[in-house]
Parts: sequence; C-alpha cells; structure tokens
Amino acid sequence: MASIGHIVERTPSGEVLSRAQMRARLIPDCMVEAKRIANTVISGWHGRRKRGIGENFWQFRPYSDGESLTRIDWRRSARDDHTYVRDREWEAAHTIWLWADLSPSMMYKSRFGSVSKESRALVLMLALAEILARSGERIGCPGVMEPLSARNAAERLAAALMHTPLSGGLPETGMIRGWSDLVLIGDFLDPADKIMARLGPLARRGFRGHVVEIADPAEETFPYAGRTEFTDPETGDKLTAGRAEILREDYRRAYFARRDALGADLRHMGWTFTPHRTDHLASEALVAVHMYLSGMPARATHGGQL
Amino acid sequence: MSLLSLVFANPMMLAALVALPAIWWLLRLTPPRPVTEAFPPLRILASVLRREETPSKSPWWLTLLRMLMAAAVILAIADPVLNPRANTLSTTGPLVLVIDNSWATAPDWERRVNTADALISDAESRDLPVSILFTADREHNATPTSPDEARNRLAAAAPQPLTPDRKAAFTVLSTALKGTTPGTVAFISDGVASGENDVMTDLASLSPTELRLIGGSPEAVAITTSANEADAMIISVSRLDTSGARMLPLTAYDIRGRAIANGSVSFNAGEGTAKGMIAAPFELRNDFSRIGIDGQATAGGTYLLDDGFRRRRVALLSGETRDQSQPLLSPLYYINRALAPYADLVQPNEADLAVAIPELLSQKPSMLIMADIGRLPEETYGPIGKWIDNGGTLIRFAGPRLAAAPANDPLVPVTLRQGERALGGALSWAEPQPLADYPAQSPFAGMPRPEGILVKRQVLAEPTADLTARTWASLADGTPLVTTKTQGAGRIILFHVSAEATWSNLPISGAFVEMLRRSVQLSRSGGVASEGAPKGQTLAPYRLLNANGVLVGETARARPLEPRTDAAPVADADHPPGLYGSEEGFTALNLLAPNTELKPIATEGLDVAYTSEPLLGAETVSLKPALFTIALMLALIDTLVVLFMAGTFSRIRLSGAAAAVAFIAAISVATMLPDVSRADDSKPGDENILARLDKTHLAYVVTGEADVDRISERGLAGLTDFLTYRTTLEPGPPVGLDIARDELSFYSLIYWPVSANAPMPSPQAISRVDAYMRAGGTVLFDTRDQFNSLSGGASSSPNAERLQAILADLDIPPLEPVPADNVLTKSFYLLSSFPGRYAGSPLWIEAHPDNGTEDTGRPARTGDGVSPIMITGNDLAGAWAIDANGAPLLPTVPPDEMQREYAFRAGVNIMMYMLTGNYKADQVHIPALLERLGQ
Repeated sequence: MASIGHIVERTPSGEVLSRAQMRARLIPDCMVEAKRIANTVISGWHGRRKRGIGENFWQFRPYSDGESLTRIDWRRSARDDHTYVRDREWEAAHTIWLWADLSPSMMYKSRFGSVSKESRALVLMLALAEILARSGERIGCPGVMEPLSARNAAERLAAALMHTPLSGGLPETGMIRGWSDLVLIGDFLDPADKIMARLGPLARRGFRGHVVEIADPAEETFPYAGRTEFTDPETGDKLTAGRAEILREDYRRAYFARRDALGADLRHMGWTFTPHRTDHLASEALVAVHMYLSGMPARATHGGQL
Repeated sequence: MSLLSLVFANPMMLAALVALPAIWWLLRLTPPRPVTEAFPPLRILASVLRREETPSKSPWWLTLLRMLMAAAVILAIADPVLNPRANTLSTTGPLVLVIDNSWATAPDWERRVNTADALISDAESRDLPVSILFTADREHNATPTSPDEARNRLAAAAPQPLTPDRKAAFTVLSTALKGTTPGTVAFISDGVASGENDVMTDLASLSPTELRLIGGSPEAVAITTSANEADAMIISVSRLDTSGARMLPLTAYDIRGRAIANGSVSFNAGEGTAKGMIAAPFELRNDFSRIGIDGQATAGGTYLLDDGFRRRRVALLSGETRDQSQPLLSPLYYINRALAPYADLVQPNEADLAVAIPELLSQKPSMLIMADIGRLPEETYGPIGKWIDNGGTLIRFAGPRLAAAPANDPLVPVTLRQGERALGGALSWAEPQPLADYPAQSPFAGMPRPEGILVKRQVLAEPTADLTARTWASLADGTPLVTTKTQGAGRIILFHVSAEATWSNLPISGAFVEMLRRSVQLSRSGGVASEGAPKGQTLAPYRLLNANGVLVGETARARPLEPRTDAAPVADADHPPGLYGSEEGFTALNLLAPNTELKPIATEGLDVAYTSEPLLGAETVSLKPALFTIALMLALIDTLVVLFMAGTFSRIRLSGAAAAVAFIAAISVATMLPDVSRADDSKPGDENILARLDKTHLAYVVTGEADVDRISERGLAGLTDFLTYRTTLEPGPPVGLDIARDELSFYSLIYWPVSANAPMPSPQAISRVDAYMRAGGTVLFDTRDQFNSLSGGASSSPNAERLQAILADLDIPPLEPVPADNVLTKSFYLLSSFPGRYAGSPLWIEAHPDNGTEDTGRPARTGDGVSPIMITGNDLAGAWAIDANGAPLLPTVPPDEMQREYAFRAGVNIMMYMLTGNYKADQVHIPALLERLGQ
C-alpha cells in the first residue's frame, strides 16, 4: 500500500516565479495602508490619500493666514477673488520583509494536497513580492536580499533565492530597521513556546508581523490507519503506531490546540495569523495576507478557516 | 483388519515436528510489517501516542494458528493412510481370479483392475501362480501362469457389452486346474445373477482354502423393454439394489446422438423393476433412436430403437378424381386427415392408374391404400402382387365400384359377394349396425368399442372356414367389417365400408384414425420394392454398443444377425448388442431380453464359507488431501487476521461501502429492468392494415384520372350510404387502391372504372389483380360506355379496348350475362337488370357450367363460390355518386330517378352476392322447402 505522504524535491525558483506571477495577476492592484512612520527614508510614489509631500495634485484649499506665500497657487487664485493654496498628495514607500521557511519538514506532500508545502510557501512569497512591488513597496528578504524598490522585485527575489537558498529556522533579523512589515511563511510545527520566544523580541522591536502557517491536509486530518511507522523528515525520528486510526482524535485535538495557542499568542502581540492548507487555493491565503497588509482586518480568517 | 488403523507412508517426515518449538519462537518475534509514512508533525503525534498500542509480538492465538498450520503441513507430507491393505492370501495353492467383465462392470472397471492387480501383487510377493479368467470373454484361458503374465492379461481385458457366461468359464477353469486345489479363489463379481444361481457353489466345489466374493455393483440399472404407447414411450427399467426409493432420469437421443426428450423412472423402495415414461409428441418419438439412463453409461443402461418406430410412407390411390373443391366427398380426404400426423403420404400425379401405380411403387411405399377401386389395369396386378409378396401392406376400402367389381379380384383378402348390403332404408328391415368388440387376435384389440358408429352399407364376404380368424373387426351382427390376409411377406387389409361418410360414419370417428394408425404400424418400415427378392436374410452389423453404452463402428468381431421369426434374437459374444443392417434400415439388438430382471448373485443357503469384500480403493483413505486442505484454510484465516491487524479493512471501509451500495443498486436495477426481450413482430404499415380490418370497406381502383377517381369515390360513398340505410351492412368509407402497391386482400369487391385515358397498369399490377381474383376476390370492371356492348367488335369504344387489353393478361373464366336465375338477381332485391347511369349494358359474370342435371324450375341455380369478375358498361358509380349533401352528382341517361334507384339496388345486390355467396342461393329455396313440408 502506497504511503499517504512523501518528501518532495526542492521546487525550482523559476517555476515558482512563473506560478507566482500567474497567481499575482488574480489580485487587484491595491495599496498597502502604511502606518504613519515618521521618517521614511525614501519617498516613494505611493499615494497616501492625505495631504503632504508628494508630486501629484491633491486639492485646492483657501489660503489661511500664516502660511508661506510661496505655496499660493496664483494661476488658480487669479480666477476669482480668493486666494488658493495647492495641496499635493502625500506619497510614501513602505518596507516589507518576506520570509519563507524552507526546512525539510516543508518538503512534504501527501496525496490529499495538490502541491508540497514548500512549493506553496514559495508561491505565496513571490506572489506577495509581485503585488507589493507593483504598488511600489520596498521588498526585502532577510539574509537573502536587501530591501529594494523595483517593478521586477519578484524576479530579483527569485534570482536571489536561487543564489542564496533560504535556510531553515526563523530568520536573522538584525539588519531590519525601523517600522517594517514582516511576512513569515512556514509550517510552524515547533512548540508554540519556542516560536513565541523567537518572535516576541521582533514584536517588541515594533515590527508588524503576518504569519502564514502552511499545512498539508494529511497533517490536519490524520488519515492513517493500521500499523504505521511515522518518520520525522527533520530529525529522522521514527515512531510506530499499532493502530493509527485510534490516534486520530487525540492527534487532531493536539494539533488544533497548538495552532490555536500560536494564533492567540500572535494576535496578542498585534500580529496576524493565517493558517493555510495546500489543498486550498493559494490565492485565498494571498488575499488574506494582502488584506492584513492593507490594514483591513480579515474578518473571516480567524480560527484558520479560510 | 482393524477399522481405524493409521499408517504413515513417510514416517521420517514426522521428525520435523521437533522443529515446532523453534517455529513458535520465531513466530513470536516477528510482528507484522508496518506501513512507513513520512510525517512532519511527529512531535505532536509523539505527545499523544500511547506506547501500549504497538505490540511488538504477535498475539498468542495467532502464533498457535500458525503452529497448527505448520503441523498440518508436516503431517500431510508424512502422508497418513487409513485402513491399509494387508496381504492375507492363502499359500496352499495357486491364486484363482475369476473376474466379471460384463456390462455392469464398465463404470468401475478401473477399481476392479486395481483390486485384481493388488491380489496379483500379493500372489507375486508370496510366489504363487495365478489363474485369471474373464467371464464375459469369448475364450477363456484358466491355466495358472506367472503373476506377470496374469498382469498382462488383466491389462488387456476390457469390459464387454454382454452378460457374463460364468458356466462356460467355470468349465474351463475346472479343467485347467486339473484337480489342483487352489489356495485363494477370488471372484471379482458384478453382482448380477445371469441365469444360473450356483456360481458360488461351483467355485466352492473347487474346495479352495479361501473363497472371496469381491465387489458387486449395486448401482447396476438396465433398461429391459420399451413400448411406444399412444402419448408416451413407456420404458421398463430393472435395478439390482432394491433398497430405498430412487428416481433416475431418462433421456432419448436421436440418430445423431442429440438429446431430444427427457423422462424419468421412479423405483419404490423394495421394488426391482419400474416403468418410466418419456412423454413426447408422436413426431418427436419417431426420431428416437436410443434411450439412456443419465449417469449410467453402460450397455445395459442404453436401449437401442430401430426404425420400427419410424414413419411409414403410404401411397394413396382413389378411383375417383373428384373436384378438390368438395373435399368432404372425396374418400381420400378422411384417410389423409387420419394418417397425415403418422405417415408420409404420397399421391400420384397422374389420374391414369396404369401410370400412377408403377410411379407410386417406384417410391417404395410401406403401405398402399386404395379407396373404392374396383378394377385395376391388367398390367398393374403383377407389380402390386410382387410388392405385397415383398412385404407391402395393401389397404382397400369398399365403395360402389368395388361392390360392382367381379369376384375374382386377387387383391382382396376374402371373396366378396357382388353388390353391397344396405342396412336401413325404405326397403330394408335391418337397422344400421354398430360395431362389435374387436376380436382378440385383431391388432385393434384393446381399443374400446366405439360407440355411436353405425354402418348403413357394406360389402359382404363369402363365408369361409377361416373367415373369423381373418376378421379384425366386425359388426354387431357378426358380419366382418375389416378382413385381412397375409400374402408372402405382406398383407392385404379390406375395410368393407367406403372411406368417406356415405356408407357409415366410421371415417368421421376417432376409431377410424386409431385403426388406420395401428394398421400402419403393422406395415414394414423402410420401404418395400416391387422388384427383386425379399430383403436379405442376414443383417450385417452396422453399429455396435460398447460396454459404456456408446455406439461405435467397430464391428470386426461381430457376426451377421440372422433374423428368426420364431424367437427374438439374443445378444451373445458373436452378436453383441447394436444395430444390424445398413444405413437405410436396421434392426436393433439389445443386451437384455425383454422383461429381464436384475437379481443379485444368490449366496443364501450356501454351505461353503466365503468372505465378502468390497472393491479396493474405497476404504483405504489417504488423509493427505484433508490435511493440506486444513493447512490451506488456516493460511487463509491467518491472512485475514494479519490484514485485519494491519488495518486494511478500515482503510477500504469507505470504498467497500461504496462498492456494496453500487452492487445493491446494480442488483435492483437488474431486477427492476422491464422485460425488453419480448418479440416484436410489428411491421411498418400494420396500423393501416388494422384500420382496414375492423370494418368492411368498399374499394375502387385509382386510375390516375382525377375526375374518374372523384366519381368513383363519391359513387362508392353513395352506395355506402345506401347500404347503411337499407341493409344491416354498414361499410366504412370507401378506399382508393393503387393496385400496384396496396394490399388487396382486405376487400371483397374492387370497383375498377376502365378509362382509356388512364395509364395502362403494369404487368406486375395485373398479376396482383389476378392473384386477388384467384384468392376469392371479385373485380367489377365498368367501361362506362353503354352504347357499345362488349361484343361490339370493331365498333368497341376505347374503354372497351382498354378493358380487353387488361383482360388479356388475366386468367378469367368464360363469361355470360347474368342469367335470370342467378343469385345476383335475388340476393337482396328482386332485379331483372343492373342499370347504372345508362341502362343498356348487361352485367357479365362467370358462366356457370351447365351440367344439365339442375332442375330448371328452381328459382335460383345453386353453385359454389362467387364470380371473380363482373363487367358492365353502365357506369354504376356515376349513378351512385352523391355530393356531401346527398344530392346526386350526375344525371342518369335518360333522366329517370327510378333508374337511379335501380342502380342502387343493383349495387346492394352485388354487395350481398359478394358477402354471402351461395348462402343466398340456399335461402331462395326456403319457400319451396316450406311448401314441401306442408306448412
């Protein structure tokens, strides 16, 4: 009898890129709502729908006393008896750090899922990069690529990934400065305490985090029965269950308890948590993360049910 | 020999049982192999996994199961045998083996050979000479020989399809032993006594040290007789073992060995004989050539039938060649009807007897039936006499011609008085006579005396001394009704009444059929030639039965069968059972004489000691197959248990449930499917035919000219209305016919307006009309030109010329204008003419043959059938034609409404004539009949 799940080969970045671009085409071009960060290093061409420093016209408003005369728009003011000031739209760019966990446990695909977890994580990361780059955000990947703002940021991220494969474990975050968004994609199968110990300092540094947990359906539903020997792809540990079907309820309870605890902790820190299963469409997770990035709370995404 | 002795053929293998504890230890250590699965969240799983759920050792009962399996295999290889044979031969003298190789030994011959072979081996091991002989063989050689020689002769022996001749065998044996006292005498018997009761006594008289009676075939069943009764074949079956009720299926085979009928025979408990029945139609029973008991492939269980059951060829001759249209008056009609199911009937093509009789005899009939032939052409007496001498059967029926024939006719069984005797009538005091009971020597004996048969007229036989002995049936007053005489190998039978119902009502009774049938069964089958000597005296073997009840062509050792008249032939070594003769005709020789009963060999009251043994091979039981079966079953159980423990069933539970649902659905769909295999013989156009059948329709021929067709349609509609109004005939709407395509046979009358302007019908269409007229239909041709009579010759109109062209292709009888006494003038209205729009033309119909005997004073001529053709020139449809309001369409010429009324009446008369035929002719006699009756 063929086993239910198996370890897959690492997915080539080029293929993932093309699939990610296809995926990104499904998402409307929208803005990321950036928080007010006082000192943005580079002024982007990112309209904030606010009055401020920028190039594009925003509004005419009557001149009020005390303002600099140089701001008066004389051409407009000459048309009637009032004096007008031309306001410009405030434009700012935002730095978003993307990171995907590509540890051996991600190289797993069961026959219930359509792709492996690693493949799905790469697709999500590059799709986010594509969307965000299109709206002018600065995209970075800790340890792989410095933040850059370019239309082809997704391609460059893929190229960087080819040269510097992502290693397992949570990223080194020393180079991250300022108020940035951090998108973490992985399976987060470590105990919740351990994960929170790594993520807690990041939150305290002021990063806003978005965690996407990729899970294979077999990990959630535990469709095993009979005498089964389970192997951990990361540690190589073996575990034999005499009758796997009687473990199902207990396992599922433990699995969801871990996920709920992780999600609650993250939300407590102000981060968002998005569980995602590989047998669902990648765009579901993409939309959810994008909504979080845009500042809109994803209403239906709590509890891991997309 | 103890009953439960157990011996191992390979006892060394039992040593392997020592290894069982090692197997136990090995089995305890090996858990079932798990399925390997990669599983990233192993740490979560590890937190919930309970250690006791993973047994590393098999459960004890599974191990025990496997231990049992191993033990069973080891024991099976050791091959334990129950009840082994022991060598108990007496060593005081040679071994005498008397072996029955009769028909009853065929099914278990192998076991008999094995038994004998075992005895020979015993003798070999004790160094004894062996005297072996086979009771059903032609020659016996009982000289004691070496066991090897005996074994060779045993291998060469085969069961014979014969009964054993133990007397002859014993004579040979006693001379061969020359006074030597045998040690062991073993009689491997079939258990069937064959006439003599003292075979055991004979064997005991050799005073052997030991006498063994081995075997017997309690299954032996044999068919002894079969009789072809009226509605079934009755088969007598005898069996050897009379204990217990038993039912055996019977099958009848045809000449090619195909099973064509089945029956069964049931034995009651304690009865040795029973009668079975194969019910089949007579025609099917004609084809029986062999009857077998299913599952009893022996010569005794097979019964051969010869062509005595076959259908005979019967030639029919009549003195009168009457019109076939009055079949009830033809003497051959009743014979034909009586014999057609039982015989092949041939009739001459020529009316001339001098030609017809040699033609009939050349077809080699078994029987010749002459109905009322008084005198034959002189040159035919010789061939007929020769044919009877060769075995032909001649049946004659009396009649006016025979009664008037001279008395020196050689082809009557008794001397006849000239003239016939009339019983009853104005000038006779005697009453019509019923039949007496059939005499005992008659083949009709056993039939019930027919009630209600009265003979009014017969020919009388001159009384002779042996007349009574040659009478098969007689009247109540003792005068013979059926007499017979054998002549040569053949027979002449005379029925003293005529073959039709004028002299007696015998031919219309069931007894007539049965009498003729029995007479036919008496006749020789296979045909009788009128030339040459009677058939050969000896019959060469054609197909012989072997001991297994199969017909084979191996006939080398059989001698030709000489048919004896005094006794039935008996099967013996020179004449084994089988078919004798040739392909054309053969006689069956069966193994057992009729009414033989199978009886067991008498052993009661014997003063010699003997032991009775069954055949070898039944009670020496090897336990090897049983042990291997047990091991295999255990292996299957083990497989299921292992699969269950590995969780296979819980994995496939869902798909199993789906499969069960699909299976149930398939079953229910299959059972609820409508029966779509019903034969559907509907053809396109059937609904049209059905629409035409519910009512009578008037029909006309569509000529293709629109106005002519319209007048035809309206005219027939007018006549339809008139008929509906005036008579009980209510026809449906008129139908226009395309004579080239439409089916014509639904219409009794077709109106055909002849038009010279219409296209000439094709020859095929005219041929269809011709067939329609032959089949009883009538065509009414209307030329619609009263000014030109049909005999007008050169002055005939174009329509009349067209009619002549049409009629040139038709087979029409001679015509005449409707005579004044024809039924047409009286069938509904009394009419003197048949006018239409015109009044001049007569109506031509088929001329009635005037035979001159009719009374011209009668109001109507009788005659059968109706005229197939009518021709008029009066434009009947034109006079009948009405429009939708019922007003006439065309004026009559001259304009006279009475003429139109007469035209309608003519139409009614024609339709009545069509539909009633000569019934109306009889009706017109009613006044005369009433007047004669004085009322």
